[in-house]
Amino acid sequence: MTQAHTSAPAVPALPPAPVRRVGPLTRTDFVRYAGAGGDFNPMHHDDDFARAAGYPSVFGHGLLTAGILSGYAAAWLGRRNLRRFGVRYVGQVWPGDTLVLAGEPVRATAGADGRTEVEVSLTVHSEADGREPRLVLRGQATATLPGEERTA
Amino acid sequence: MADRGLIGWEYQCYSFPVEHGKVREFAVAVKDDDPVLHDVAAARAAGYADLPAPPTFSAVTAHWAPPGGLDALGLDLRRVLAGEAEWEYLEDIVAGDVLTVRSRVADVVGKTGSRGAMTLVTTEHTFTDQHDRTVLRLRTTVIELGEH
Repeated sequence: MTQAHTSAPAVPALPPAPVRRVGPLTRTDFVRYAGAGGDFNPMHHDDDFARAAGYPSVFGHGLLTAGILSGYAAAWLGRRNLRRFGVRYVGQVWPGDTLVLAGEPVRATAGADGRTEVEVSLTVHSEADGREPRLVLRGQATATLPGEERTA
Repeated sequence: MADRGLIGWEYQCYSFPVEHGKVREFAVAVKDDDPVLHDVAAARAAGYADLPAPPTFSAVTAHWAPPGGLDALGLDLRRVLAGEAEWEYLEDIVAGDVLTVRSRVADVVGKTGSRGAMTLVTTEHTFTDQHDRTVLRLRTTVIELGEH
């Protein structure tokens, strides 16, 4: 894991991930995630509670968005290759929002045994009718891609 | 209100089974239709012993953590927002495993941001399996808005 190998020609380029749209998300999606994950914070299903806290309505669990993004990253990088996945929550996801998932490679480094360590950045924007897309979550992931065993 | 006196505080350790149905339910909830999360034959063909836990499956610990854990932090849920989370994957986690979770408060920091005064509480979680292998590490930060 040294920076010195970053520009080595043996490191294959990872293409950007194809953009994926998920949604529009509904209150039912939030409730389904509450049950699956076990987070029954009323902020995510009780509009009265959310409004009393100053929000216009309930909003989605940060971990729901993170979970959707993690599946996107796993599909792009290979589930078994994933070493780290991190998220920073930037904004709320409201009922009716559609998530727009994107990923870009940041760095590829030659690792041991012909493997490639890749670091990627990920974003989730939230779009809805009549509104500019908003960034709601930033992510990053690292993965170890296997070497090309068959040609070695 | 969280304060720095919480740093180093350890939650009560607990164990939970990784259940087949829960893996599928969680995968559906996060809209992940990868067959390895739904079909044992597909999981085995991909090299897993059983359905693998999705990357953020650690969230299900909310069903298993002993009650009162969060209360010890003294957080007001109306003012709490999710901040950050980072998972480090060390070994496969599959349905049938039994995981033990050890969690401690790693840091409590007060700062002033665009939303005004806030307190950031970071917790580190270590997951070991039934063979005592550390399979997952998770670091989470929650934000409590308001005066320190």
